[in-house]
Amino acid sequence: MLLREVAYARPSSLAQALEILAADDGARALAGGQTLINVMKARAGSPDTLVDLSALDDLKGIELGSDGTLEIGAMTTYTEIMASSEARARPILGDVCAQIADVQVRNRGTIGGNVCTSDPTNHLPPLLAALGAQFTIAGGGSERTVSSDDFFLGVYLTAVGTGELLTKITIPAGRNDGFAAVTLGVEGTCIASAAASLNGSTRIALGCVDAVPVVLTPSSPDTDAVRQAVRDATMEPPSDVHASSEYRRHLVEVLAVRAVDQARGAA
Amino acid sequence: MTTVAPEQTEQAQETWAGQNVPRKEDRRLVQGQGVFVDDVKRHGMGYLHFVRSPYAHAHITSIDVSAAEEHPGVYGTLTGEEVAALTDPFFQLASVPGANVKDYALAVGKVRYVGEPIVAVVAETREAARDASELVEVEYEPLDAITDARHAQDDGVPTIHEDAGGNLMWHGTYEWGDLDAAFAEADKIVKIDELHFHRFNSTPLECDGALVEYNRGMGQWTITTNNQFPGFAIIMMGPAMKVGLDKLRFVTQDIGGGFGNKITSHPQLVACCLLARKLNRPVQWTEWRTDFHLSMSHGNERWFHETEVAVKSDGTLLGFRTKALDDAGAYLRYEPLGGVIWAQVTPGMYKWKNIRVDFTQVATNKAPVSPNRGYSRMQHLWFTERMIDIVAHELDLDPVEIRKRNYVRVEDMPYTTPNGCVYDSGDYARMLDIALELIDYPNIAERRSEAATRGKLLGVGVGSTLDSGTNNFGQSRMINPELQFSGNNEVATVKLDIFGEIVVTLGTTPQGQGHETTASQVVADILKCSVDDVFVRAGHDSYWNSHAGFSGTYASQFAVTGLSAVKGATEMLRDEIFKLAGAVFGGVPAEALELADGGIRIKESPEAFLPFMACGAIINANNAGLPEDLGVTLNCRYVYRPPFEVPDVEKKYGNLTLTYATQIHAAVIEIDPETGYYDIVDYAAVDDCGKRINPQIVEGQVMGATAQAIGAAVHEIFEYDEDGNLLTPNFYDYHVPHALDMPPLKTGSVESPSPFTPLGTKGMGEGGGAGIHAICAAVQDATGVLVTNSHNSYQRVWHLLKERA
Amino acid sequence: MSVTTERSITVTINGTTYEREVEARKLLIHFIRDDLDLTGSHIGCDTGNCGACSLIVDGTLVKSCMMLAVQADGATIESVEGLAEGDELNKLQRAFREHHALQCGYCTPGMLMSATALLRSNPHPSDDEIKKALQGNICRCTGYWNIFEAVKAAAE
Repeated sequence: MLLREVAYARPSSLAQALEILAADDGARALAGGQTLINVMKARAGSPDTLVDLSALDDLKGIELGSDGTLEIGAMTTYTEIMASSEARARPILGDVCAQIADVQVRNRGTIGGNVCTSDPTNHLPPLLAALGAQFTIAGGGSERTVSSDDFFLGVYLTAVGTGELLTKITIPAGRNDGFAAVTLGVEGTCIASAAASLNGSTRIALGCVDAVPVVLTPSSPDTDAVRQAVRDATMEPPSDVHASSEYRRHLVEVLAVRAVDQARGAA
Repeated sequence: MTTVAPEQTEQAQETWAGQNVPRKEDRRLVQGQGVFVDDVKRHGMGYLHFVRSPYAHAHITSIDVSAAEEHPGVYGTLTGEEVAALTDPFFQLASVPGANVKDYALAVGKVRYVGEPIVAVVAETREAARDASELVEVEYEPLDAITDARHAQDDGVPTIHEDAGGNLMWHGTYEWGDLDAAFAEADKIVKIDELHFHRFNSTPLECDGALVEYNRGMGQWTITTNNQFPGFAIIMMGPAMKVGLDKLRFVTQDIGGGFGNKITSHPQLVACCLLARKLNRPVQWTEWRTDFHLSMSHGNERWFHETEVAVKSDGTLLGFRTKALDDAGAYLRYEPLGGVIWAQVTPGMYKWKNIRVDFTQVATNKAPVSPNRGYSRMQHLWFTERMIDIVAHELDLDPVEIRKRNYVRVEDMPYTTPNGCVYDSGDYARMLDIALELIDYPNIAERRSEAATRGKLLGVGVGSTLDSGTNNFGQSRMINPELQFSGNNEVATVKLDIFGEIVVTLGTTPQGQGHETTASQVVADILKCSVDDVFVRAGHDSYWNSHAGFSGTYASQFAVTGLSAVKGATEMLRDEIFKLAGAVFGGVPAEALELADGGIRIKESPEAFLPFMACGAIINANNAGLPEDLGVTLNCRYVYRPPFEVPDVEKKYGNLTLTYATQIHAAVIEIDPETGYYDIVDYAAVDDCGKRINPQIVEGQVMGATAQAIGAAVHEIFEYDEDGNLLTPNFYDYHVPHALDMPPLKTGSVESPSPFTPLGTKGMGEGGGAGIHAICAAVQDATGVLVTNSHNSYQRVWHLLKERA
Repeated sequence: MSVTTERSITVTINGTTYEREVEARKLLIHFIRDDLDLTGSHIGCDTGNCGACSLIVDGTLVKSCMMLAVQADGATIESVEGLAEGDELNKLQRAFREHHALQCGYCTPGMLMSATALLRSNPHPSDDEIKKALQGNICRCTGYWNIFEAVKAAAE
């Protein structure tokens, strides 16, 4: 409620958007706004300018390549992912999007906003990290692609720099994925989460235990190996009102096993 | 959803009472046509924003509002210094030492909790008010904070209220029966070191608010607000503002939930009043969610230490003693009434005779507490239910059997408790049977085994509670013998207007309880008309002159106080209609007349019929020639006063409430032992509130109380860090139940009419937190570990399981 | 490309078109409540959790406290005030009344908009689908059970 004064622009092209962002250090991209507007209500953050990306049709939509690769525009909403027949090529995406918040939030919240927020309790950072997604970032007249390992840098901090925008997320082919979380109430905010992908190798990403997803690659998907990998991982899970560090550390071990089991079952 | 309730019978339909009449309120509410406080606007009004303390405990060394006042659109500000000059501290209910607390509308010299209002800024727009608030410069000298009531009286801890000489606010000892004899007779003494009832509240979806106008010529304020107990607010505000109570006109239409949490907004209302006068313009204040969580009406957090229960080996309960420690937060806004309200249900539902409670209330640097649905009794009932289940566990007794053995029985009713309260009616054992049947208790062992095959721990628990309603305010004298309160009252007026419209005015301030509907049902039965013929004014306006000292909507009483007032006023009106018709018909006696079809007629010659419209017209507009001594106004005001005596303050003995509605809940949960996560897989709520005027509304209250209890048991908690920061300051971290959190619900009902009330009704609506007690018991049953905390998050359950391992 | 702190917007709400100057920082819910006097939609939180402000914007259910008014420029909006057909309550509103699906009525406008959106896209929802569709709307009075019943009844 009652944001600080802010300027607003709704560019109609990516170039225009990048131009405004580059020209103004205090400018921030407004995607679905389902986090940013809350931050602004609390006046915990107050950009000078909001660059509304909602008119950038280039950033919307889902394409399925012939090799099974999915390309998802950063401004694609959770609801659109859930409804997309292309996205069913990687069923976990729609399944996890369906667990995010509620209908209203899913109708406006975007995949790009979710990852760029890089909130440790968000569902998609660990999921996309486990899936080995690639992130395409535009800005400064060029485009670059980074892996999830390089994308998530900290809480609210990603590889997307000043004057840049995340344009799309590329997800390789695969089906054997899992996601498990303990949430605050049914389908509420994650207290701890784990995603797993068994396409070729075993890749696990843990959420809520560090500033960025903790990625593990155990030698096998066997329960003992998974548990051991979590135990061996370097992480200092935060303590907060919902979970102590100890409890979170325990939960992600359990959840990692469950995510892997789900991924096995999804074969 | 499964429901076990009496079907509507042919006979039931002869009266409006007892029917599920759809609510009158709903037509406007489903169209967005309700009028809630933030919906009301006035020309030229200014929006108020409070600057709030970021510290839990600090001296205020300076306040500079100059930059804020220069901000564009700002109309003015108010500081604690001005408040202290213009008003007296609020009157305190407590005896010494709490009596010495100085509480003002804004912090004066010191802040005592995070979120405490320090300065109020009023501006042309909401945004400008908030922008300017950020320009107010306050300098602090931080002090250590006390957040754990258990250490509030330790040596060397900071004193929150220097005027009170320490952090003790109130202390009293309650003792009834013969404790020594009971403990000597006991086969077993069960000791419980510590039990903790956590801090939460029911978080009505609408937060507090007001629109305050000052009429300079009359020296009078009109306060449009959602305060749910104007009778209390007004006696707090009038003396503080040094004005007569009629100078404070309270107006309310629709209120977006209250649950007791909207009783203590008087400090904020005073700030609005002072600013409306200072700035000579209407002042509008809307509290946002985070403001509400930080500063308003937390439920009482309570500890029970050194509890001892005297019990025979067969499970017969002889008595208990405990030391209760209550955390009042930073100010005594309604406290220390919580120090006595619990005594309405001293023995819970059980027949133990020997009870000692040493009750201490302390201040902490947390938000002030005030009533929350089930106020103070819920904490005590949780304690009694915990004692029962812990005793059962320690003696290896069946929790169901020990309850049945010790419940007050139907043949004992009315039952006088050891402290002189009179339980009016009820059949607890039968209700428990219904609840157990609803959750298929006989097959619980099989279900436990089946759950185990899925890796789940199944647990079952019972919570049995009383919802004591219609306070005898004389109990306040037990916390302060100087207080001159006793009894209770409520007002209704019923009139017949010139065109025959039946108009009802209530003294209450409903927040969703359907008063317009149930009142019309009572009226329609007496006047033999349709509920559609009865117009019940929405909300409350002290200008209607239909309120009394205890008017409001709180503490489970409308079905007794409100409806009895409606009944009384309507019967007066009915008698006047008879009198008038008798005169108009030329001296026909009342016995020869009857009401029918929206009018009155002569029984023997029904064609001699006087419609209500004619009655209204004659009295109001066509009254020449009526007998001089007729004594009929067709505008009847009735004050219902329940039958109470002043309690014995020395012995702390007397009847503290008029009615006792009953709830028995049973919960079945399944715990995932790996995470501590649990689901409620089966749940039954059985309720008895005496005669039900509108069963659907009653059931709605039962459901709502159940949902709130489930939320409180599993998720909801106002938790502070050691610096006094609230860690759950809004719905992001304070998780209330959402649609997907709701378990399947089965309901049942029993009707044991109260012998003490005009309609056989009992106050209801608060429940007694039965769901909290049932879930605690189920967690204990599933884990096999004693549950000593009322809040059992997944994390806590996981810890319990670790404890077991 | 205009970058401004205030702009003129046009919205059509329940068939009426409004044109107003509005600050960029103003949330859609504040705009419709304070600037347009459409006070049927409510505010119950400040974190986007409660759903009391839910509206249907261009056919999509949204929380209007998580959207700026300027973002609604050109939009067609439906709110609780537009549900009844003249003086006649619609089927869903009647079901809410008949099933006692509201007490204080504060969450009801948002709840009705969520249920409206559900029944439009899924005229015969299962019990689970009803719960899922209402997950974004907090009610503190009813425990939701009667709301589920009402939505189910309206779907029949």
